[in-house]
Amino acid sequence: MKAPRVGIIGIGQSAFRAKRDDASYPDLVREAVVPAMQQSGLDFDAIDGIVYSLSPDAMVGIGNAERLGVDAVGGRMKPFLRINTGGATGISSVAAAYYQIASGASEVVLTAGADKVGECGDSQTVLNKIWDPIYERPLPLGTITMLAMSGIRYQHLYGMSQEDMAQVVVKNRKHASLNPNAHLNKEVTVDDVMNSRMISWPIKLMDCCPQSSGGGAMVLASEKFIKDNKLEAVWITGAGHCSETYYQGDRMGTGQTADHADAYALGKACWRSYEMAGITDPEKQIDVAELYAPFSNTEYHSIEAAGLAKVGTSVPMVNEGRFSIGGEIPVNPSGGVLCTNAIAVTAMIRVAEVALQVWDKAGAHQVKGAKRGIASGNGGDHQFFGTMVVEA
Amino acid sequence: MALNRNTAVIGSAIAAPAANDGRALEELLYDLVQDALKDADLKIEDIDGIVVGSNDQFDGRAISVMMASGSVGGVDRDILSTPSAGEHAMVMGVMRVATGLYRTQLIVSWSPTEADSLSEAQRLGADPYYHRKLPMDELNVFALQASALTARCADAQALSGKIAERSHAHAKAAYPDAPRENHEGQVPWPLKPGMVTRPVTGAVALIVASEEFVEERGAKAPAWIRGMGWATETGYLGDRDLSRAPALRAAADRAFADGFLSGPAEADLIELTGATPYQEMIVLEELGLCDADTWAEDIDSGRFGVSGALPLNPSGGPIPINPVFCTGLMRIAEAARQVRGQAGAHQLENVKTAVAHAASGFAMMYQTVFVLSTEKQGAAA
Repeated sequence: MKAPRVGIIGIGQSAFRAKRDDASYPDLVREAVVPAMQQSGLDFDAIDGIVYSLSPDAMVGIGNAERLGVDAVGGRMKPFLRINTGGATGISSVAAAYYQIASGASEVVLTAGADKVGECGDSQTVLNKIWDPIYERPLPLGTITMLAMSGIRYQHLYGMSQEDMAQVVVKNRKHASLNPNAHLNKEVTVDDVMNSRMISWPIKLMDCCPQSSGGGAMVLASEKFIKDNKLEAVWITGAGHCSETYYQGDRMGTGQTADHADAYALGKACWRSYEMAGITDPEKQIDVAELYAPFSNTEYHSIEAAGLAKVGTSVPMVNEGRFSIGGEIPVNPSGGVLCTNAIAVTAMIRVAEVALQVWDKAGAHQVKGAKRGIASGNGGDHQFFGTMVVEA
Repeated sequence: MALNRNTAVIGSAIAAPAANDGRALEELLYDLVQDALKDADLKIEDIDGIVVGSNDQFDGRAISVMMASGSVGGVDRDILSTPSAGEHAMVMGVMRVATGLYRTQLIVSWSPTEADSLSEAQRLGADPYYHRKLPMDELNVFALQASALTARCADAQALSGKIAERSHAHAKAAYPDAPRENHEGQVPWPLKPGMVTRPVTGAVALIVASEEFVEERGAKAPAWIRGMGWATETGYLGDRDLSRAPALRAAADRAFADGFLSGPAEADLIELTGATPYQEMIVLEELGLCDADTWAEDIDSGRFGVSGALPLNPSGGPIPINPVFCTGLMRIAEAARQVRGQAGAHQLENVKTAVAHAASGFAMMYQTVFVLSTEKQGAAA
């Protein structure tokens, strides 16, 4: 059974920075909502549903902080709910808005949120609290140490070096230098990355995403509404989610459910989106990708999970420029998560950036001729994966 | 705007209050989901997607859905979380099935009471500059609402005791073994002991399926979702008249329009979320069942008793049994069970249509209304 088409008609995002002490949390939400509404050409009366994008409450230090964002999104008396799938929250929120329209419940849905990760103190202290308090929290696990273990395993299986990890940083920083909204937007060299402070072997400081503050917003509408009102749009043609096990121990050792080197559930989520969009050969059919990779090593397994390279083969391809702007399938032309991570909306920005690319509105980091792209988001302890195909 | 496809509740499980038998929350949720699957005569392989509603502060975990994903069957599956309210998980699950992309959804919400202080956890939900220091927790906001209603309606206080009495009587018959302890500590004016009980640990699961799936599997006694509406008010209490709930009216209008009901009086029963008698009066007024001029008459007449014309909360509702974060989803599950003829000791006779009302957030900020029926949309046409 085919769901009705849903279009993206408005996009807004902050210029992400480490600190935004000039703006309250609701201010940051509003900062993204205003340009999204302006691009859509609609006023708030046209919005008949709101999906609020906010990951852990503790990151903003307010329980159910979405309640304080109701006015920033014009939500009073409207259908309003919040989504949280950790780092995947943003793409899950776009998916939820998609479901709301595709179900017939609403015609135009605004999804929006913001984060102040740059001002939360230390995100790793907060993120340690995602693990089971008895078994895994005391290790201590953080998202860096968790994905460092994935990096070690990937090195072991597929021969990735620390210099190969640095190449991902060099590529994405170069892309980010073309994107005025990116948080870390200065170009770096492999030596810069290699000489940066070791955080959790093999991940060094420059292999890590920043802690960013800023907001994101998107306006989605039904095909009928878009046609009736003669609006410009790009189209969501595929959406899929898949999850892995909660416990890190289940991904390691002889009894593992999936190899921690790979992104098994991300692959399944991508193929759910591809199947819905009628894509059978992503290497040939995808023009651009924005893949959620907060640490340099994780971009490799994300590229492979998205079917843009076979498992274990993406390292030389990155080095050869296949995934750079100007290459065959640019990955993270915005600079990606490695250059900007305001967790509540990071995965929404992945969809927004793919939408801007296929809309030919990406500015200096535009991928020429991009007509179809894939976006992804990862949340929890590399547990929840959301993906979306967007087409012109 | 009605949904594109018919959906129905085909299974449920309620564990509220959950037995204090040493099970971890993961074990409680696993058992709960197995019970819901058994009720629907399904296996986990039949579930296409999952939506859960949980609260990080109550759970003492960041991203509390993570812990549950294994025990509710989330591994390898598509799972979303709506931390704004347990009932929002139901809203999202129904919409996902109505897209036609999913045949089934499992909806789960829970509310533990192991935090040292639920009051402290709730206070984290107040904005840090203006309200957190008041102190503003749910109990104090209940009292603010009650005093606002008392100021507007002279007989609200006199009626509140009668509502509490009816609710406890219903709960005693429906769940005779459930402990109903008074809220610990001093209960703020104008609330009184018995009008608000100590929160209990609870968990609720429902299974929603498409019309095609219901027919294909011959699902027993589906409770068709005829109407669904949800709406919110602002998060700042100072901007609201706490004696009223306009978002409930917006949600109810939508649900009744979709469900072809002129109003809740057409239903055979209502399960509503009034955590205090005062909240119940506000809900009755906003649903259009009665207003301040007729409360006394309606409440005294027995209209809302189990043998009255329109029974309210035959389960007892949240005044006697309140699993805080999943109370709203519990109301939806109770209403669905009445429609399915599976409500147990408190099953009413000849139930065709039930209205479920859920509310969450400070002073019922989030409002949700469902219309459930033995007849699917269009069946009467």
